[in-house]
Amino acid sequence: MKLKALASALSAALLWAGAASAQTAPSEIKIGALYASSGPFASISMPVYDAFKLWVDQMNAEGGVMVAAFGKKIPLKLISYDDQSSTATAATLYNQLITQDHVDLLVADSGSVLTSVGVPIAKEHKQFLFDVSGTGAAFFTNDNPYIALMADPVSTIWPHYISDFLADEGYKQGIRTVAILYSTNDFTGTQAAALKGFFERDGKVKVVYYQGVPTTTSNYTVLINNIAALNPDAVLELGYVGNDIAFLRNLQDSGNQFRFVFSIYAGTEMDEIEKNVGTSAMKNIFSYVPASNYEYKPEFGMTSKEFRAAWDKKYPEGSNVHFGANAIYGYMAGLVVQRTLETTKSLDQMDIHNAVFALSGKLKTLDGTFTLRADGAQIGEVTPLGQLQPAGGDKLDLKAVYPPELANGKAVLGK
Amino acid sequence: MLTGAIVAGVVFGLYFTLVGLGLNLVFGVMRIVNLAHGDFLMLGGITAWAMFSGFGFGPLVSAGLVILLFMAAGLPLYYLVIPRLLRSRDSEMLSLILFFGLSQMIEAVTTISIGATERSLPPRLLGVGPMVILGTRLPKAWIFSAAASAVAVLLVYLYLYRTRLGTLTRAVMVSRDEALATGIDLNFVSAMAFGISLALAGVAGVFAPFILGSITPNMGVAINITAFAVIVVGTLGNPLGTLLGGIIYGVSLMLMQTFLSSWANLLPNLLLIAVLLVRPEGLLGRKTRRA
Repeated sequence: MKLKALASALSAALLWAGAASAQTAPSEIKIGALYASSGPFASISMPVYDAFKLWVDQMNAEGGVMVAAFGKKIPLKLISYDDQSSTATAATLYNQLITQDHVDLLVADSGSVLTSVGVPIAKEHKQFLFDVSGTGAAFFTNDNPYIALMADPVSTIWPHYISDFLADEGYKQGIRTVAILYSTNDFTGTQAAALKGFFERDGKVKVVYYQGVPTTTSNYTVLINNIAALNPDAVLELGYVGNDIAFLRNLQDSGNQFRFVFSIYAGTEMDEIEKNVGTSAMKNIFSYVPASNYEYKPEFGMTSKEFRAAWDKKYPEGSNVHFGANAIYGYMAGLVVQRTLETTKSLDQMDIHNAVFALSGKLKTLDGTFTLRADGAQIGEVTPLGQLQPAGGDKLDLKAVYPPELANGKAVLGK
Repeated sequence: MLTGAIVAGVVFGLYFTLVGLGLNLVFGVMRIVNLAHGDFLMLGGITAWAMFSGFGFGPLVSAGLVILLFMAAGLPLYYLVIPRLLRSRDSEMLSLILFFGLSQMIEAVTTISIGATERSLPPRLLGVGPMVILGTRLPKAWIFSAAASAVAVLLVYLYLYRTRLGTLTRAVMVSRDEALATGIDLNFVSAMAFGISLALAGVAGVFAPFILGSITPNMGVAINITAFAVIVVGTLGNPLGTLLGGIIYGVSLMLMQTFLSSWANLLPNLLLIAVLLVRPEGLLGRKTRRA
């Protein structure tokens, strides 16, 4: 009986191996990607794209990626188009990559706005979408197996360390009220709604101001004055890079002070923000601590220090390319693609789906542990809450302050 | 909140007067729409950033240099493009196409040259901290920028109403044909107006980082839409009506931010539609345009 079972298993394995070798190996694996070289999302898109290109070049320098389905290394061909930060252009180009270029793998542009149009298109064409950093919660539904979030957590869980901190440490130090000012887009709108829900659920910190502003907003003086009139203990500003620059400049110029101020990009794109607002406007601001500022121990791919060295070599100073969290996200997407190709049974899109989801909880990289929910939302790479603290002279250090098990510094609240 | 929004709106609106002033001057004199106006503003900001990064020049020094540079660039650009455009059958419509193309070129070349990310000037250059006006805390940089705008408006007024060239400019604004018949050198008058227009856009660009936070190569289109709303509200072809348009825009924006913040970006379009429906000649307009 045992012999019979063994024989069946062996013949099944042989059949599968035969089928695999029977597939003709392509001369190249076509990866389709979009980027925005101009427009409001260029500053988060180009670092992702440049990092992804860095990974592609690295792979091709080694002869390509090992593709399990064909048992050999196959070079990568990156087919990429510039959507210029336009969702209409992006929609056309996602279609073109799928229907005209017939790419094997489809990688979304950076951020929720430019990913949003790709999600239904990929689903309609049954093409798996490697969603690099589109964290909008609405993208992930149980009836769509053709998407997974690569490099940062879904917006509904991303900000939970902020509310946890305020309800825990903050509450102990007298934080009772919070103002939430957000840009009305999938990325920050979802985070704001999630935060409001967390605060209402915990019942410790009261939301006294909750307003959305267009993502194009470039002046916050009156908004800050309106918030100050309500005298909240904490202010959470959730916007894109341009919003954060304007907010932090206006906050400093207005002279208003709050005990706790949070901005997403003060930490995640620290160099970019510092260049535009100066260190004095960033001092003691709270933010997320991305992998570019936090040393995870990767089991696959480069460490963050090695990646930074490779980045600086490929994009030396003066090349108008900026390092930050989005650069990590682009490289992270490359690592997921690499492991997917190394394990997938074929290039069929459901096999790609299966290979990506099989990595969940097992892939540990410089961005933390890659963990997917059943609907494709990323729930593993949650970033700690950090604070930009003075580090001598005109320098700031982004310290992780919460949760305690990830902290390498202590939060300092204003008086 | 209401007082704060109105005070901030007036100051903010003064800056947008400066933004729209040059655009209106060009339309008034040449009856063409410079859709690259916002891109020239962006170039003014980039020039100020380059002057600070390279030579340590502050915004006031940069503003002076930008006026000279942009005037100097405006004169040859005028002679290269505008006379031919004005000879065409439908110069107003063709100007939209031509300057839209120029706008795209400026944005693309700037992006290729310096990248697409934000550039700015340190806030300390115009003073850090607030000034209190009628109980409203406003950034010092806003006050300086608004003051610079007021000076620019005053200079344009003095140019138009206290100089001989200004008188000729107003004559051209009333009727190009009659001005030509009286022997006025249309091209020279128009070239000066075009140069002044670019200089005004450039100066607005120098102060843009302090009002708008930062400069990006793609900001031109949004600036154009706002500037167009400002000059339509204030009256197309009436440079001084821009002051009224700018202040109405600024106050309306701040009121929207205070009471209906999510919809604030609709404001330029709402103002445009409202004025075109109710008073298409603009708030200061008459049935026949006058300088």
